[in-house]
Amino acid sequence: MGEILIALIKVVFIWVWVLLCAVVMTWVERRGAAMIQDRPGPNRAGPFGLLQPLADGIKLFTKEDIVPAKAKKILFMLGPLLFSFPAFSTFAVVPFGDKFVIDGKEILLQVSNVNIGFLYIVALGSMAVYGIILGGWASNNKYSILGGLRSTAQLVSYEVPWGLALLAIALVYGTFSLRDIALAQSGTFLGVLPNWGVFKQPLGFILFMVAAYAEANRVPFDLPEAESEIVSGYHTEYGSMRLGLYLFGEYVNIVTLSSLITTFYFGAWHLPYIDMSAFLGPISYGIASFIVFFLKVAFFLWLFVWVRWTVPRFRYDQVMTLGWRELIPLGLFNIFVTALVIQLTA
Amino acid sequence: MAKPEVQKNYSLKDSIYLVELLKGLVLTWKHFIFNIGASFRKGPHTIPTTWQYPEDRRPISPIFRGEHMMMLDETGRELCVGCGMCAKVCPAKCITVDNSKVPEGQEDRYAGKTYSKNFNIDLLRCIFCGFCEEACPKGAIVLGQGYELAAYTHEGCQLGKDRLLENYKKAKASGTLKPALKPVPVAGAAQKAEATSAVPEGASKAKPEVTKKVLKKAEKKAGEGE
Repeated sequence: MGEILIALIKVVFIWVWVLLCAVVMTWVERRGAAMIQDRPGPNRAGPFGLLQPLADGIKLFTKEDIVPAKAKKILFMLGPLLFSFPAFSTFAVVPFGDKFVIDGKEILLQVSNVNIGFLYIVALGSMAVYGIILGGWASNNKYSILGGLRSTAQLVSYEVPWGLALLAIALVYGTFSLRDIALAQSGTFLGVLPNWGVFKQPLGFILFMVAAYAEANRVPFDLPEAESEIVSGYHTEYGSMRLGLYLFGEYVNIVTLSSLITTFYFGAWHLPYIDMSAFLGPISYGIASFIVFFLKVAFFLWLFVWVRWTVPRFRYDQVMTLGWRELIPLGLFNIFVTALVIQLTA
Repeated sequence: MAKPEVQKNYSLKDSIYLVELLKGLVLTWKHFIFNIGASFRKGPHTIPTTWQYPEDRRPISPIFRGEHMMMLDETGRELCVGCGMCAKVCPAKCITVDNSKVPEGQEDRYAGKTYSKNFNIDLLRCIFCGFCEEACPKGAIVLGQGYELAAYTHEGCQLGKDRLLENYKKAKASGTLKPALKPVPVAGAAQKAEATSAVPEGASKAKPEVTKKVLKKAEKKAGEGE
């Protein structure tokens, strides 16, 4: 009973927390974009415009819910759900902190510590494409279907370098469990550097970052919704809260991907050179590890926004060339070198 | 037309792209930091390109042509004599004037022998050209600085005498009062315009009241003709 209750609390807590992050991200994106582009951005609703996401939410909820006449109704309604569901579910295996110790009982700050966390992430990552392609297909609109097809090709292509970068990580740490990977990143590496994945896998990190941007359909890989070419791509025909789910799912996706980057490459909840567990109490250590983890995540969230307003969109053939002819060979090369080094040093 | 040069052979640095990406990130970061600093600065108009309208107002030129007002002289008498020159010259036909003799015992209210009994400007028609201001022989009508003219009703868009006089009081209180602008006569321009056949008919018929702009145009055309 206690186990179930704890699991339930963890699920609800992380769900609400991720939702909150996504909500704040919509505000950060709009204000950040404005600041980069020399304009003030939405600053009227509440202090610094912080209530803007709330206002947007009210607007989206109260708008008329339109299903186009020739649309496939069931698929049309299924699309946004299928898109946002995997984004949320991926968080089930992400360790968002170390652990609490209450009455000698350890509570891991992770919804479930499965030993095949890798497979779970990769599987759910490719699920998101169904939401997009269904939305595009069911809309019965040429722009939508173009957006859906583009995203399918893009997501399937970038899944490969993504997976290859993950495989190299698995080689280095010798485990598929995300918590074990996070735990292995404490201490120092080669005496001076923090023992983080980014120092052991610099090439893998770049590959993972690029592929993550493509997986999240973010600039410079926002081909599926390229405004200047195909209106809004797969969500052209969506309005009201269905559109809201798509937009929201995108931000949840970004939060998830940032957490994965932090977990694999930036030492999860570990501070460089400082062992927090040595001088913090069991509960305050749990809270501190959670805060450290999300501070790192916040940096990568900001990086998503920052990159978006810096780089222009790639052309479609450039995206494919980059994926198949550059990232995949680099990923294979990375695995080869990693395996060689491990073999020679073992 | 020379073909635009497209760089075909990228160096290794260019094709790796990450260096250029970092340069771009540094540039956007500079903008971000500058604007964050600017948004915390006190005072109006801190972010360089945006005027936050109701709070920040752009400075208006002293000769801005906004909402009309009816001028009074130093002793507080209405200058308008109700001659109707403004109504005549108005290209949008938005002014209606009824004039009348000044009644006995009201000479302290009106400067002339006649006055405008009714004076109405339809702001929905007005194009704010300022011809009325230039045409008025008494300098009685002036376009002021007001530009927030939105109204919910047609009646709200009518400038009657009451509103015109109120605008005068407001302008006087805020210190933006200015005398009526008159066209600057250019020496010999009208004669020159008449002498050249290239000048359109409208300009050659120009009377002394003709506006500055028309005069200038005529002179320019005449200059080109020679």
